[in-house]
Amino acid sequence: MENIKEHLTEYIILFIALFIFLVLFIVFRFDRSAQTIISGAGSIFYILWGIIHHAIRERISRTIVWEYVLFGLLIFLLFYTVLSF
Amino acid sequence: MQFKFTRRKFKEDPTIVKHWRENSKAIEKFQFVYNFIPHPTRKKRATLLSNKAIFVYCGIIILVTAALRIVPKFFPGVLGYASNIVVKDLLYYTNKDREEANLPDLRLNAKLTAAAELKAKDMFENGYWAHVSPSGTEPWDFIIGENYDYIYAGENLAKNFSTSKEVVQAWYSSESHRSNLLSANYDEIGFAVVNGVLNGYETTVVVQMFGRPREPSMVASVYEENKVLEEEANKTTAMGQEEQKVPTAQKVITSVTSMSKPKVDVTIATKSLTLVFGGFVSSLLTLDLWYSKKMGISKFSGQTFAHLTMLLIVIVSVWFVLKPGLVL
Repeated sequence: MENIKEHLTEYIILFIALFIFLVLFIVFRFDRSAQTIISGAGSIFYILWGIIHHAIRERISRTIVWEYVLFGLLIFLLFYTVLSF
Repeated sequence: MQFKFTRRKFKEDPTIVKHWRENSKAIEKFQFVYNFIPHPTRKKRATLLSNKAIFVYCGIIILVTAALRIVPKFFPGVLGYASNIVVKDLLYYTNKDREEANLPDLRLNAKLTAAAELKAKDMFENGYWAHVSPSGTEPWDFIIGENYDYIYAGENLAKNFSTSKEVVQAWYSSESHRSNLLSANYDEIGFAVVNGVLNGYETTVVVQMFGRPREPSMVASVYEENKVLEEEANKTTAMGQEEQKVPTAQKVITSVTSMSKPKVDVTIATKSLTLVFGGFVSSLLTLDLWYSKKMGISKFSGQTFAHLTMLLIVIVSVWFVLKPGLVL
């Protein structure tokens, strides 16, 4: 939790974005194409959030960029696996 | 606690070095735990949370998804969607939506029901999922084929749904389908709920056909509606007692049943895959958060809490928001 207090602004932005994505997911719960786009947009947002967050704090490296790209990809694939059937 | 103890012991008793040198397996066992917890000296996450490991998880998920796509091509009917859809419930939920919109109820018509059934069987036999067949047959051709003389007619399609309520909800949530559901131009309706193998997957297709007869006096009576419902119920009961499969030229269709139980339910399989990987990585991230805080390990890596939040959102969305089924 100390970590969140330290990065409060960034985490507030992340939580607001996640809330919006979740609401959109519920609104479009019967539209697979819209849900795929929302999950893709959410994953890209998360990758960018992570990179910007670390860049602002000058704690960025190639490994960290890859970490966010891979986590973003994992999140999208988990959604896509269910949405594509 | 175990590792803290070992390190203290190492400082106090140098003979422990001899113990480690003589027991290579003990070292391996000692190192093994760093697959699950962060390394205190390397200041890195657990090996199973490394970028390489996440890359491997992504690869496995892609392979499993590809397998779920390829298997039906070689073993049609093994994968599919379990369902329990009943005509009576479809009619109930459709008319409920109409009542809420202050519209009169639709009557179940035998000819529209027969036309819907023919349409559903045609989709299975010719392997398509569309309003117009590859040979150009339109929904109206089935309706006219049943000698239903109409001034207005419409069609809604659904597949891969689990329950009748979900089917009607999905139609209601789509603007174009809702305009059919809530159209004042229709007096009658017909449903077909047909199980079969479509594009390799065992599934249930629902066809909903709307119509207004040219002659208002031709609108089905309550007696006729009840007769159709009774026939549907009898077919369902017969299917429940005995598996009746109707072989056609190429496909096997189970005619007008309410229950579909494939060997492997795709919905459960894909949701389980998400839960297994999402749950596994989330557990490791939780362990990482707890152990790093406990041991005061400061790592040069991404935000563990953010990763964990994202994965939990995925698990919750997949299990509680995502529903199977497509409408057309």
